[in-house]
This record gives sequence, structure tokens and C-alpha cells, in this order.
Amino acid sequence: MQLTASARRPSRPCLPSLVAVAALLVATAEVQPARGSDSSDTDQTSTAREEGSANRKKAEDKSPLEDTATKHASMELAGYSDSDHVTVVTPSIAAGIDNVSGGSLNASYLVDIVSAASADIVSTASRRWEEVRQAGSLSGQYKPHDFGVGVGSSVSREPDYLSYGVYATMVKDFDEKNWTLNFGYGFSHDTAGRCGGEGGPGPSCTPFSVFSRDLQRGSFNAGISWVVDRASLASVSSDLVIENGDQSKVYRYIPMFSPSVAAGIPNGASIDYVNSVRLPERPLEQLPLERHRFALTGRYAHRYDGSTLRLEERFYDDDWGLVASTTDARWIFDLGKRFAFWPHARLHVQGGASFWEKAYVSNNPNGDANTWDLPLYRTGDRELGPLWTTEGGMGLKWYLGKEAEPRSWQLGFSGDAMYTAYLDDLYVSSRTAFLGALTLEAEW
Amino acid sequence: MRFGGVASGVGGSAPTMDARIVWTCMLVALAGVACTHVAPYERGKLAHPMMTADDLAGPAAAHVLAVHEGATGGGSLSESGCGCN
Repeated sequence: MQLTASARRPSRPCLPSLVAVAALLVATAEVQPARGSDSSDTDQTSTAREEGSANRKKAEDKSPLEDTATKHASMELAGYSDSDHVTVVTPSIAAGIDNVSGGSLNASYLVDIVSAASADIVSTASRRWEEVRQAGSLSGQYKPHDFGVGVGSSVSREPDYLSYGVYATMVKDFDEKNWTLNFGYGFSHDTAGRCGGEGGPGPSCTPFSVFSRDLQRGSFNAGISWVVDRASLASVSSDLVIENGDQSKVYRYIPMFSPSVAAGIPNGASIDYVNSVRLPERPLEQLPLERHRFALTGRYAHRYDGSTLRLEERFYDDDWGLVASTTDARWIFDLGKRFAFWPHARLHVQGGASFWEKAYVSNNPNGDANTWDLPLYRTGDRELGPLWTTEGGMGLKWYLGKEAEPRSWQLGFSGDAMYTAYLDDLYVSSRTAFLGALTLEAEW
Repeated sequence: MRFGGVASGVGGSAPTMDARIVWTCMLVALAGVACTHVAPYERGKLAHPMMTADDLAGPAAAHVLAVHEGATGGGSLSESGCGCN
């Protein structure tokens, strides 16, 4: 809706005013040489004329046109660690420029440095592995009045994974920006390869030309946002994501069990226990080759005297049978002009995909060791199983700018703790994680 | 109307579009009755920086949530895929 942008710079002249000012400048610039011309007909020498012209040029150079664009830049250093022995350090930078005529250009770049020795990796007798992911994005938007369009692109690169995407958006304000419609479409193409041997990821990678799996993703987005009252904003948006391709992980081997054993496998069964009772074969993960995902998200923000409440609720379901609800709340309190503090809470609850099993059963109806009857779809991805995650944390912002514009420089810190309960899984029944971030933002 | 997906093929209960349409209609209807016209000069509170439509979570936090949760949506179209989980 961009109410903020327009309200934060209320003194910005509108386009007709700019045109008028520009016309006046042009007219003045044309008149001044004419005056010089006139005076040359009286008693000014050629040298004096040149000096006068030079002085005028100097005066013009000293008063250039005002740069009305707003530039902003930020950098963040984030760290993540969890009880499943996964650590991620993520430095990132972003920068952008907003032109007074409604144009904007933004770019971002981040690096994920991942170190992992999770139960899934240990269960395949693999060593701790480290990996670096780089991701960047570039986007632009032009919205001179109540209608705007935007385009953008993104790329993400890991040793065994490459993703790139493009998107376009459209936004239209109605009724003096009391409500706004927005639409968007994005397309991305992912290529997954393989590094290392059968034991898991490693330093040597197979070229994509030798082995790779492609995933194409089309995302449709439509939403409406509106002014509820003088202190409240609300929005509803829907997302439809259509994925085509094989998303199965090439490192994920699925233990199989006989029917009699599978029924008695406890939640969070240890690696040693699973290895002692599983069948000899351990096939690779296999997921369906198509997925349709739908999400409906509602947001509400209310400004009190001295604080801001932000609420979000997302309903999600897909044709893999996964249904989820995510609730997020953040209450930001102003602590004078220089500080803001907020508590943050989030709850995510989901059921499992229709083909999710804690212990997959492999039958051997003919008694022949070479004719195992494997389930068509099988996975060890815990995010496809039933789980709930609760998250709580806080954030703090320190406005370091000058007295007139304290928010022109901002130093921020946020920390969140997450607890996830896996309700029907092997190896792990819960996970505790911590995420912290330090940010520095500037606007000028 | 039902998605012609895999869930029915693997014995699961596929979500129907009907439920989604109902959700959407209910929320849009709510939106229609819940708003009043607010003139630009009355939007002092709405102009507060914390009332921005942007997500306050940074890129790292957004990425962690995308990996931890089996759901998607509600974010930006600019997020690229990754082989993270």
C-alpha cells in the first residue's frame, strides 16, 4: 500500500509541481544569456563578457539541482544453531534507492555458511560437512501515482544446487489509497546435483551435465490491503505455487521395516536402534513429481499511542495432504525517540503429508530377496511430517541518527529461540534452536 | 473442484478448492465491512515506520522459517529455492 513511504516524506512535491519548477528553471536559464547579450551591446569588453559568463557558470555550479532520491543500505550478521548440530552463519547486505518520481531499485546479497552433523547425516555414517550458499536479488519498481509495476530476479547457488528466478508485480491504489490490490507472478528454475559419494555430501561434485534434477516453480500471488481506521491497516493475500520436478534429496536414504517391526518403532528411535531392526535395503527418498501449494495470509497492524501491534495468520494446504497454520505476533514499544523494543511470538502447527510414515514398510511377498515391494513415495524430510514449532524472542532498535532524523541510522538486535516437537519421526523427537541477528541500517 | 494431484493416488485426503474459496470470500467480506474512509490528512498514526507492510524479520530469519516450516506463502516472490533441508 506504501502508506508509509508517502507519509514519511509528506513534503515531497508532486509531479506537476516538479514540472512547474523545471519549466521555471529552464525559462530562467534561457533569459540570463539573453541579458548578457544585451549588455554586450553597451560598454562591456569581450574579456569582461567572458568573466561574467564564467562567474555565472560558477554560480550555477554552486547551486545544483537538489537530489531528491532516498538511498538506503543495510547489513546484517545472523547466526543460527540448533540441538541437531546444525550451525549457520549468514552475513548479508542490501541497498536501494527510491526516486521521487516513484521509481525504486533494490539489490541484496547474502552468504549462508552451513556446518552440519545432524542425525540424518550421522545415520548415513557421514562426517560433519560444511557448505556455502550464496544468494542475490535485484528488483525495480515504478509507481508514479496510484498504479505501479515491478520486476525482479534472484539467484541462489550451492555446490550441488542452483536456483534462479524472475518475477513481476502489479499494484493499484483505490479511493485515495484506502485500499490497494496487488498481483504477482514468479517463475523459478532449480537444478539439484550431487556432491560427494554415497555417504553424503562431499567436496567433489558431479557436474550438472552428468547428473541433475530439475524443478520448476510457478508462483501466483494476489492480495488486497486496506485502511481499517485511522490507526489500523489490514491485508489478505493468497499464494498458489505449482511445482513440477523431482524434489527428492539424493543424499536421503530411507530405512525400511517389516510390517511387524514397523508398528513398534517408537517416536525418536535412536540411530543404533533403527539400524538394529531395519531391513537390509535402504532406498533413496522418492517424492511425488508435482505439488500444488496454496496459502492464505492475513495481516493486521494497529498503532497505539507509543506502541505498534502486528499480527499475522497463515493457513496453508497442498495436494500432498499437508495442512498447516502459522500465527505470528509482534508488539513494538517505543522507548523514547531513540529506542524501540519488541517481544515476538510465533506458533506453527502442521499435519503430515499423506504419504508420511515414521517407519516405512517393505513387503517381500514372494520371499525373494530381489523383489522388495517398496512404497511408491517415501521421505525422511521432517518438514513433511506432523510437527509444531513455538518461537519466542525479542528485538531492540537503537536510532542513532541526528536529532532531526534519528531513524536515519539504526542499529538493531534480535534473538529468537525455537522449539520444535516432531510427533512421528525417527532419530529426533524435538529440536531446540536459537537465531540471533545484528543489523545496521542507514537512510539518506 | 479438486486439485488433480498425487494425494488421492497415495491414499491421502486431498484438500479441496472449495475450502479455499470459502476462506477467501469470508476474509474479503470481512474486509468490506470493516473499513472506513480515512482521508490522507488523518493518517498520522498509519505513517509510523513500524506500520510498514514490509516484514520486520531479516533475510536470515525469513530463510530459517522457510526451511523449518513445511508451509510456504505470505512472503516475497523474490525468494529463490535452495537444497537446504
